[in-house]
Parts: sequence; C-alpha cells; structure tokens
Amino acid sequence: MSVQVVAAKMAEVDLKDVPSSKDLPAGSPVSPAAEGKNIAKNEASSSAAASPTAESSSAKAGEGALNPNPGKMPQASAMKRTDPQQNGGEAFVNRDGTVAEAPRMKKIQFADQKQEFNKRPSKIGRRSLSRSISQSSTDSYSSAASYTDSSDDETSPRDKQQKNSKGNGDFCIKNIKQAEFGRREIEIAEQEMPALMALRKRAQGEKPLAGAKVVGCTHITAQTAVLMETLSALGAQCRWAACNIYSTQNEVAAALAEGGFSVFAWKGESEDDFWWCIDRCVNVEGWQPNMILDDGGDLTHWIYKKYPNMFKKIKGIVEESVTGVHRLYQLSKAGKLCVPAMNVNDSVTKQKFDNLYCCRESILDGLKRTTDVMFGGKQVVVCGYGEVGKGCCAALKAMGSIVYVTEIDPICALQACMDGFRLVKLNEVIRQVDIVITCTGNKNVVVRENLDRMKNGCIVCNMGHSNTEIDVASLRTPELTWERVRSQVDHVIWPDGKRIVLLAEGRLLNLSCSTVPTFVLSITATTQALALIELYNAPEGRYKQDVYLLPKKMDEYVASLHLPTFDAHLTELSDEQAKYLGLNKNGPFKPNYYRY
Amino acid sequence: MSESATGEAKAEVKQASKEVKESENVAEKYSAMTVSKNSEMNMGDLTTVLSAVPTHKPVKKQIQFVEDKQEFSRFPTKTGRRSLSRSISQSSTDSYSSAASYTDSSDDETSPRDKTQVNVKGSSDFCVKNIKQAEFGRREIEIAEQDMAALISLRKRAQSEKPLAGAKIVGCTHITAQTAVLIETLVALGAQCRWTACNIYSTQNEVAAALAESGVAVFAWKGESEDDFWWCIDRCVNTEGWQPNMILDDGGDLTHWMYKKYPNVFKKIRGIVEESVTGVHRLYQLSKAGKLCVPAMNVNDSVTKQKFDNLYCCRESILDGLKRTTDVMFGGKQVVVCGYGEVGKGCCAALKALGAIVYITEIDPICALQACMDGFRVVKLNEVIRHVDVIITCTGNKNVVTRDQLDRMKNGSIVCNMGHSNTEIDVASLRTPELTWERVRSQVDHVIWPDGKRVILLAEGRLLNLSCSTVPTFVLSITATTQALALIELYNAPEGRYKQDVYLLPKKMDEYVASLHLATFDAHLTELSDEQAKYLGLNKNGPFKPNYYRY
Repeated sequence: MSVQVVAAKMAEVDLKDVPSSKDLPAGSPVSPAAEGKNIAKNEASSSAAASPTAESSSAKAGEGALNPNPGKMPQASAMKRTDPQQNGGEAFVNRDGTVAEAPRMKKIQFADQKQEFNKRPSKIGRRSLSRSISQSSTDSYSSAASYTDSSDDETSPRDKQQKNSKGNGDFCIKNIKQAEFGRREIEIAEQEMPALMALRKRAQGEKPLAGAKVVGCTHITAQTAVLMETLSALGAQCRWAACNIYSTQNEVAAALAEGGFSVFAWKGESEDDFWWCIDRCVNVEGWQPNMILDDGGDLTHWIYKKYPNMFKKIKGIVEESVTGVHRLYQLSKAGKLCVPAMNVNDSVTKQKFDNLYCCRESILDGLKRTTDVMFGGKQVVVCGYGEVGKGCCAALKAMGSIVYVTEIDPICALQACMDGFRLVKLNEVIRQVDIVITCTGNKNVVVRENLDRMKNGCIVCNMGHSNTEIDVASLRTPELTWERVRSQVDHVIWPDGKRIVLLAEGRLLNLSCSTVPTFVLSITATTQALALIELYNAPEGRYKQDVYLLPKKMDEYVASLHLPTFDAHLTELSDEQAKYLGLNKNGPFKPNYYRY
Repeated sequence: MSESATGEAKAEVKQASKEVKESENVAEKYSAMTVSKNSEMNMGDLTTVLSAVPTHKPVKKQIQFVEDKQEFSRFPTKTGRRSLSRSISQSSTDSYSSAASYTDSSDDETSPRDKTQVNVKGSSDFCVKNIKQAEFGRREIEIAEQDMAALISLRKRAQSEKPLAGAKIVGCTHITAQTAVLIETLVALGAQCRWTACNIYSTQNEVAAALAESGVAVFAWKGESEDDFWWCIDRCVNTEGWQPNMILDDGGDLTHWMYKKYPNVFKKIRGIVEESVTGVHRLYQLSKAGKLCVPAMNVNDSVTKQKFDNLYCCRESILDGLKRTTDVMFGGKQVVVCGYGEVGKGCCAALKALGAIVYITEIDPICALQACMDGFRVVKLNEVIRHVDVIITCTGNKNVVTRDQLDRMKNGSIVCNMGHSNTEIDVASLRTPELTWERVRSQVDHVIWPDGKRVILLAEGRLLNLSCSTVPTFVLSITATTQALALIELYNAPEGRYKQDVYLLPKKMDEYVASLHLATFDAHLTELSDEQAKYLGLNKNGPFKPNYYRY
C-alpha cells in the first residue's frame, strides 16, 4: 500500500505540471477517461483529472490520431500529459460524445472487446496512442513499482551525462547508480520466469537471433528485463524504450543500462520525453533495427512515419496489445503494411492466462486486500459469464459463496446453468446480495437505482472494463456522503445510514487492488520471444506483408515451456499413435478451430 | 465418401456388418442375450470381416468430436471410415441407452413389409412393426415432451406463423420418442414429413406406431435387414405425387441415396440438415468435388451441441457409468484420466467434485497447462499406474493403455474408456491363455492374472458412456431443437443467402437454441438496454460474440 501511496503522490505532483488541470474543480466526478491502468495511483486522478479536461484532451488525442502526422504528435500527446492515470492515453471519444477507453477493457475481456472492435473499427477514438493492453502490460502498476523514485534529484535524465561501468553512455535513464538494486529485482523475476530461462538454455547453442537488431517499446520492468536479456543471450542486439510514461522501474532500467543495453526510459517522462526516447532508440548512427517488438504500436507508428526507409527494411514486427494489433490491421487493410507482423495477443495460452486464470485468483485477492471479507456463505452476484466471469465464479464457488450470474448471451447463460449457478436478472437479487461484481465489458450494468436498493454493507466492484460498468458518477450527489476508509475503498453513505462499499471507485479491481503474477507475464514474454525468433528465422516468403497469428505450434511450445513449473510430465505419442491420429509427434495437436 | 456406385454394393456387406456390431451394446444391455445371439447369427460369415475391420469407429465419433474430426480430415480415405453407420453425436445414440422398445419380444415373426396395416384415418402409407402399439408409443412421446420444453415452446412460438408451411421434409434419423417430438414439432410448424430410421436397430417400434397413427409416413422397425433399410429409405423418397424439398439426415445415407438414385429430385431440394460427423464429412467431400448442388447445414458443430455432447454429458455419465457397473466409491480414490480435452475436462470435474484424487496424462501442452491450472497433476501413465484405482481413457487415440500397463496395475483397479470406440485400451492383448476372464455382470469383466490379481474391465473397452449409462433427454432436446431451427433457417432463407455449400449454423440460431433451454433452469436472461447495445456495437438480440469466441 505504501508503495501505492508514494506512487499516487508522485502522480499528483506530475499532474500539477499540467496547466489545464489546475483550473479544474477539485473533487469533481472522475471522468471515465481518467481511468488508468495506472490504477495504483488513481487517487490523484480523481482529484486532479476532471472530465472536462479529459474530454477535451482526449478529443484532441482523437484528432491527432486521425491525422497521424508526426507534426501533430505533441497534440496527440496532450492527453497523456493531462491524464497520466489514463490507460496510457487510451481514452477515446465515443460518437455520443462520452469518453471511454476501450483498451482497458481490452486488457481484460478480450473476446468481447475485439468484437466491439470489429464493430466500429473506423471510430476515431480507436486510434489512440495508448499501448498497454494485456494483463502483462500492467505489471508495473500493481507489482512493486520503483521505490527508489523518491529521490530528490529533479534534473531531467535527458540533461544528465551518465556512463556505465564499461564507459558506455548510449542510454538515458534516471540514475545508473541504482543498477545493483535493479539487478536484484531482475534476479527475483528470473526465478518465476522459468520458461524464458529454459528458452535461453535451449536456444543458446544455436543463437537463433544472431544478427537480429531488435528495437523494443514495452513497459520496462524486471520481467521485461528478463525478456531482453534472453533476447540478448539468443544473439540479438536490443535498444529499448518505454511504452508508458509512468510504468518504468527506474532501477531495472539502470541495471539494463549497466548490462550494456541501450535503454531510454524513466518513470514520469513527459510526452516530449516519450517521443524523444523512442527516437533515440531508433535513430542511431551505424545501427539499423531489423525487428520491432512493440506494445501499443507507438514505436511502429513512429518508425513508419519518420523513417519509412528504415521501416521497409524491417524483417518483422511483434505486437502484443489489442490497440497495436488493431493499428496494424488498419495499416494492412490500407495496403500500407510493408513488413510481416505477428499478433501475439490472441494466442490461446496468453488469452487464457490474461482472463480466466488471472481473474480467478485476483478476484479473491482484490476483495481480501481491500475489505477482508469472508466469502463462505456470502451471496455474490457476478454480472457476465465470459472468461472473466467464469474465473470469478469458479473462485467464489470454491470459497463456499452462493453465486448468482447475470448474462445477456444465452450460450454463456446456459454454460452458467450447467456449471451450477443460478442465472438471474440483477434486480431480482440486488436486495439480498452481499457482493456485486461486474465483468461484462458493458456500461451502466450497475446503476444508481440498483445501488439504492442494495443492502447495508454491500460490496460493489468491477472486474470487467475500465470504469463504465458501475455508474459511479450517479453516486456523486449531495445527499450521499463519501468516506474514504482505505486506499481504494470508499464507503458511500445514504441519508438513512446505509453504506455501500465501493472498491477502486468502480475501476478495475484486479489492476487496482491485486497483483499480476510474474507467471502470467512470463507467458507473454515467452510468446514474444518465440514470435521474434519465428519471424526472424522464417524462410523467405512464409510471411508476407500481413498480420499473422502466432502459429499453433509456437503456442503449444509456450505452454510446454511452462509445464516444468508444475512438475508436469507430458506424455509423448508413440510413432504408431501419431500415425493413427494423423498427427506430427511434436504437434500441432489440435485444429485451429478447437475451443480448448 | 462413397462416390462410386459400383463400390457401394461391395461396401454394403461390410457396412451392414458394422451395424450389427454396433448394436451389440444395446443388445447386451437391454434385450439381453436373445438379441445379441440373433445378431451374432445374423452376422454369420461376416464375423471374419468384423474382426479385421475396426468396428466401432462411429462410436468414437459420438464422443470426442474435435479430435475425431481432426483425425477424420487426416485420413479420410481409410476404409474403416466408410461405414454406413450414422450415429454420431450423443443424441444419435439415445436408443442404445435409454428405454429401448420393450414391446419387441412379440412372437410376430412376419416382416412388416409383408403386412398391410391401416391407421385410424385409413391411411396405410407407412410401414411399422405393429400399429396397435401406437397408444403405448404415445405415452412414451408424452414423457419425452416433458423434458423437451424447448421444442414445445418452439411449437408455441412459431405455430401461428407456420414457418415450415409447404416444406416437405424427408428424414432419416434414429426413431425414438425424442425424434417423434421433433417430427411432431415440424408438423405443427406446417411441414409434411416422411421418415425412416438411420440405424437398423435403434427404432422404438411403439413410437413408430404412434407416429404412423398420427399420420406421419414412417418406415422403420427394430431389426431391419440391410435390404429393409434401403427399402425403407426408398419408400420414404419415392412416392407418387410427393416430392421432398428438405432433407434431415443423420449419417448421410438418405442424402447419398437421393443423390445417387433420384438426382432430379435431389436438385430440387432446398436444403439438407445433417447432424452427424460422418454425414457432414460426406457432405464436405461432395462439396469439394463440386457435386453438391444444394445448400447443406452442419448442425453437428454448433457450440451448444458440442458442449452438451462432450463436456456436460460426460461429466455426468462417467459417474453414472462407473456407479452402475461397479458401485465404486469415489472419495479418496486415485484416478488417472488420459486426455484433457472436453471429455477429459468433464470427467475430471466430476471426479474431483466427489473427492477423488485425479491425475491427468496429456500430449498437448496447452491442454496440459489447463489441467495444471485446474489443479490436476499431469503425469505420465507409467508413473502412477501402480497405485491408481481407476483408469479412464478419453484421448481418441489407440493403445493408450497397453498390456504392459495392465500387467502392472494393482489388484481391483478399474479400467474403462470414455473416448474412442474400443481402441484406447488394448483389450485384445488380454485375450491370452494365462489370463482368466470372468463376466461378473453385464458389461463388467474381471480379468484374472495367474497370481490372482484382478483387473475390472468395463464394457470390454468400448465406450462406457454408451454402454453403461444413459443420454439425458435434455441433451437430445438440444440436438432436436438445433435441427428444427436449421430446417426453418434453410427453408426460409432468402434466395442467395445459402449457396451450394456446407454451412455452419448461424451463431444467432445457436444462441436461440441455448435461450430456449434456459427456461428449464428457470434462468432469467438479462437484456441489453438500447444504450448498452449501442455502446457494445451489438444488436440487442444477438449474435453476442464473434465467431472465433472460444466459450
């Protein structure tokens, strides 16, 4: 918690730099846009970032994105400065003028999302700058953030001359002296990322990435560091920038710089810094990248716009976020994508871990941390029975809760029935339930009317999509008293004394109040590494100028690398059996339409 | 599949024999020894063929669809595949497990073909065992209606508009009480139906009688000969003054017959609805060869049906099957489940819920990781074979449990198969002189080693869920509803929506099938508000998910 508080303060400080936010009435309703994956520090956002700003700034973002010419970049970035808490600037303007931010949802309930995505692909708001998409992108918010940040050193890293012990100065980070501490962080992460370590060992002899010059733009955290060092061990040269101005772990960046990586990232970059870092990554004499690893598509976009000649020579792009993937698909549709790209976001393994397994754990964790509630015998209603809902229900049922489900899709509804959950409408149970959890990806699932009828002490939280699911704005009325009892926990008190416990102000509970396990990040990182290897080593012609899904075989390989963690022993097909099934002994084992 | 008419004749012999073999399950369980003896006798000289050909392919298809299909596409030309047999989904198999005709034992040995029967309305355009059984069959149908609320509500909802008015449907499925509910629903929706059986043993005679009595032209009885089988199909199709315009098929025999014998009628068909993997595969082959001149609907692969045929059905039948045969107690027992596909997931969930200690073996790392995350130990079979109490195979593979492993099992361990025909357990290797077989109950064999160790083999390695447990009417209801909706969709689709190809059921229909079954659970579906629908970019009435959604 203390970390979060510090972070929140930091964020507040940063916010104050933003001119536009100053003239905002404090305590105004949280704008839907002021949502961040940054959650840990959204206290700041609630006070500082108010909806008018958010709307105008994100509207600008939309415009900027519409005419993606580099000259307008600063404008597009305004949003990011204004609302650092936002999903790294995922906000976009709906047609009806409301501000929302899809990417959040994307991180969590992918399938629904993508659908939404397909439905209005031309929407301006979609072209956001923002980058973080998967759970994996959000690590830094929830797990140990930089706790060495609080240094009083106010000099911008750009103005400092630093050299690592080898005398190399080709990097730009907060403070190279933190390297030792960062190294310990990385070593801890390595313990929980056995797949990458195994990959290092297995592929080290052959150096599958020898000659690869990878330029990357992701969250810079201990887990990413493990990935970078793995790539390096496999023969690649790496230059790295951060995909989010707040997510960098400074000491990890220092450790990487000390280890010889050209890293350009620090926590609390300005928008200008952000693009400067990316440019420094790419624009270096005597070094031309031939692979891109991106999270959000900013790096890709920058190279595409600024260095078209360099872009043409890229051998492959690996993109992990929904936003970035969407941008790639748009490029491809417009016939402008001149290099093969790999969409690692949609791999089975990653999807299952980002949604089902992750939420199954984080719902209990998040509720316990914030409210210390006991689950046995409690009546819980879970809105939505997609992957996230399935995870939540399974966990709560296992704890002995009585779980109700609401659903709009009859197929998922039937699944809920067969899994032994009562399918109800929210209104039928709202008076009796102790906990309400939303995971629909929709908006206004729990409205003021529902909230009015809840019983005293009812806990309301959101696992689904940004902050739209619970109509929190409707609670900001004079007759209701808000009382912050803990970080992320508000009591909303009705005139008759009834209290509702609102968690994370209706933002994502799993991002705000629980952690993303390194194991999940390991799956993403491994997938990225394999995608890079695949693209780099693919024979000429296998991948054309299009966006590809990770081959199923790779997906299976990612899974297999994580099996040793469970001491799981995979059975091998005998030759006879493989022949009988018509399969290759080494996979792929399932047709593409298999549902798992 | 069987494109050449000449090859067809030869194939028929083999295929016929498969029919018989397939019916053994039923025979053993319900009709006791008489029928099974009969079938043995019928088979006569075919037994040699039988032993050479893997006989239970169709059964596999019923259970583990996905892997099957995969296998299917891998070697479509395999001879064993060329079976006539039709039952594919769980739904196709009802007659094996649920109440079979218990009025069969009549001494009337005259073939129905030689009898002239007339129903109350004076019509004799049918051919069933005994029209007098109609009243009893009606009761069976009424019982089935209780559990098929979806079809009944479909009747009510669509009755006023008669969406099938003018449809002339010729059908070839198992003829059971559940099918009767489907047929009568189709009739209520305005269709004219002529029906025949897709399996020579699966017909419930009294149900067929009840259908005939109510005016549906039914040609089917339990225990048809191969010749009867084709005669019935032909009688269905070839009638004066009546040309079918829709086909509802289970196995593709009817489609094939019409395609071969009545190409002109076939061309005028507006749509084919096919429910079995075999039939679907045959359709895809026709389509690939450019010979499919009508649109066809593959209802086998609908999400709802797949989940019920595999996950939910097996989750229940594993416990049911084991309890019925062995009365085993599950708590604390060590169980190894081979394969963690849909069937494996169902078995594991059920066993875990009863307190069993469950181990998994898997070859696919993704499924293996799922097993890990679901809290099961992933092992190799050899690591646990010495201490497990129950072994369940559901891989779709062959020789998953071999003699070597059977030798190392502990005394009293139970071995059974939920996956694929009878190939998963190497039963043949147990037929050696030093081992004694002792049949202790129907479907239960003790195999006794020289040292006195006993292994309990269920259903001789055939599918436990088909041999030793029932398929709930609810599952059949899902299939039947899907079929009815597919017929409506094909019949009413505007010109040009469906071309000459094989289609999957539209997701919206799939969702509708599910929604019709929610009432059973008293489940209340939430509706999107206009604002929410707009926000999600969805239609308020669905479809709610993109096609690639995994559920």
